[in-house]
Amino acid sequence: MVSDMRRSRRERKIGDKANKSPQTQPVKGSSFSLPPTLGAPGFAFLDNTRIDQLRERTFSLLEEHGVFIDHEEAVKTLKKAGARISNDGKRIHFPRFLVEQVIEDTPKSVTLCGKTEEWDHALPDPEGRFIMRTGTGAHGFIDGETGNYRKLKMTDVATIAAVGNHLDQIGFISHPFVNGVPERTSDIHGFAELVTLTPKHVWIQPYETENVEYLMRICALAAGGESALRKRPIASCIATSFTPLELKQMDVEAIIQASSYGLAIHACSLPTAGGTAPITMPGTVVLAAAEILSMLIVTQIVGSGTAVIATPLIFALDMRTGRSLQSSIEVMQGVSMSLQLMKQGFGLLTHTYGSGSDTPDVDSQSNAERSLLGQLVALSGADILGGVGQLECATVFSPVQAIIDNEIGQMLQSFLRTPDMDDESFAWDLLKEIPQGGNFLANQHTLKHCRATLDPQVFLRQARDTYEAENRRNVQEHARDIFRSILKKDPLANLPDEATIREIKKVVKAGDAKILD
Amino acid sequence: MPDLEERLDAIYENILDYEAKQVAELVKSEVEAGTDLQIILDDALIAAMDEVGDLFSEGVLFVPEMLMAANAMKAGMEILRPLLTDSDIPSAGKVVIGTVHRDIHDIGKNLVGMMLEGGGFEVIDLGVNVAPDEFVEAAAKHSPDIIGMSALLTTTMPNMPKTIDALHKANFEGKIIIGGAPVTLEFAETIGSDAYAPDASAAVVLARGMLTNG
Repeated sequence: MVSDMRRSRRERKIGDKANKSPQTQPVKGSSFSLPPTLGAPGFAFLDNTRIDQLRERTFSLLEEHGVFIDHEEAVKTLKKAGARISNDGKRIHFPRFLVEQVIEDTPKSVTLCGKTEEWDHALPDPEGRFIMRTGTGAHGFIDGETGNYRKLKMTDVATIAAVGNHLDQIGFISHPFVNGVPERTSDIHGFAELVTLTPKHVWIQPYETENVEYLMRICALAAGGESALRKRPIASCIATSFTPLELKQMDVEAIIQASSYGLAIHACSLPTAGGTAPITMPGTVVLAAAEILSMLIVTQIVGSGTAVIATPLIFALDMRTGRSLQSSIEVMQGVSMSLQLMKQGFGLLTHTYGSGSDTPDVDSQSNAERSLLGQLVALSGADILGGVGQLECATVFSPVQAIIDNEIGQMLQSFLRTPDMDDESFAWDLLKEIPQGGNFLANQHTLKHCRATLDPQVFLRQARDTYEAENRRNVQEHARDIFRSILKKDPLANLPDEATIREIKKVVKAGDAKILD
Repeated sequence: MPDLEERLDAIYENILDYEAKQVAELVKSEVEAGTDLQIILDDALIAAMDEVGDLFSEGVLFVPEMLMAANAMKAGMEILRPLLTDSDIPSAGKVVIGTVHRDIHDIGKNLVGMMLEGGGFEVIDLGVNVAPDEFVEAAAKHSPDIIGMSALLTTTMPNMPKTIDALHKANFEGKIIIGGAPVTLEFAETIGSDAYAPDASAAVVLARGMLTNG
């Protein structure tokens, strides 16, 4: 029985949906306003009233709902510090005074050390710059030479290290998920390989509770011993909440062990709007903030003085398919809000994806999404822009994309450099004397400043004839040229010696034996 | 009183408007009016969900809209279920789902479960961190047409082939679908699964196709 009413109903339904496309919705006023502090380049997506609203909701969520924490010892310690424990002993309520005290006590700066001082990065950067980080956790790899997709293998870690080592915007490097080794200890294998191939700062991302110990031992060996590691932490460690509002044992353990070595913690929340978090971004932002602050509290209570970098990595569920997205425009809005809340609202160091795309390949969409995301994140004041080289919602790494990302990073850094306002920048003497029909091409002022402009190596600025003569080589081809040249370069200095590498391999072997047994 | 066609249209309309409470009330009234239960079921509830399925496949409806319509339909079914025999209750098939051993990330699996239910499947959800022998036990107990398993972590993906091996050893004769963010078609083909669903909506289409085409 299909009535005319149902047929017309169907047409109405389709019509309704078409009429509800986001593009046709009116914009309800602008949220943009002047940044609260002049001097630092950037924009303030939210005004102070809205930031206060997010802050208040975050405090309320921590106090009224609390966070589930699966770590008996940590729970005991938190109770002693003033947290309230629910009757079942698992949900921890954080009173506002405790949260505010911990935020106040948390270091507001940190140096991410490389193996030598040459590679150190102080955060926040004294000149207001950011650093970039390679994508982490990728299990797929777009071959730099062929452009074909395949599983990421151990030899690719060397490629990632080489690319990361030679790209000037990359402040530190992450280990990917390596196929071809035991899955449960893949983090240990990947980290052990990476830490011997780069003098830059590296990050530790444990996959299992029992792996944390081995990762720390490898890190200590690469740093020259435990005391050397405490003096100059060559790595930092990510701890991730289990959204919504839960901390797993492994991540609490990672915080405890990393803190004991003085390693900075990237307190990371990965909410998926519409899935594990509210579909409306303010709710997702508050949820992420509560999770990050709960990790901040755990870190400060168990490892007082340890630096914490607030790391909101916001995702959204595609309402059409249910797939996770990292670069939808709603995500970008959520990230901008999160960064502002963390930085202006709580005064914390910040880290998020400043690159990455939901498309599977190094294509137009990829470069559009990561450029847009990078701008918003950089202008929101993030200290670390992660996700360099990552595609397909952070599951794939492309070294060619990483090279393009590096150049986008250079552009963003150039943009963030607020020009001085003085006679020199106004070229005042020249302006006053410029004759009719004159130009500024061949004079001392232009000569002095001409190399201060960004000279892209990847992006094209050719005339059509040249472009055609070079067989229409595009940005990817230029990036691939750089990729090839990087692979030919000598390894950087100050890497662990052969004896240290042998010791590291022993730890990997011991980890396999214990964990896989 | 409106005629039967108009009254069934009203149930149909309310399902498409996600009005669970209204659907329940209208179905209850229809039962009290003595309308043939099979007509209420076929011409209002199932017809509405067929339409929802088509609109979803065409991209008109989004995931939450499809799920809310399914909830509205279920509200009507709750009224009819005690009055129908098991053989009267339609099922697109029986599916057992769970995340594989050591994987506790269940949002994707839950989404698949809800969408399968919305698509008319009977779903037995084993939850998270399901060991291979638990899948085998569930296969023996429920005799599902399909077993679906998901993994979010690359580290837990290897538990998929282990589970599939265990099911094959236990002579499970149904189909096996896998999914999850790191899972690829290539992986699915190499571990002996019958199909790979890149997202939750694809899982429903796949499941329907498998049981229709064998």
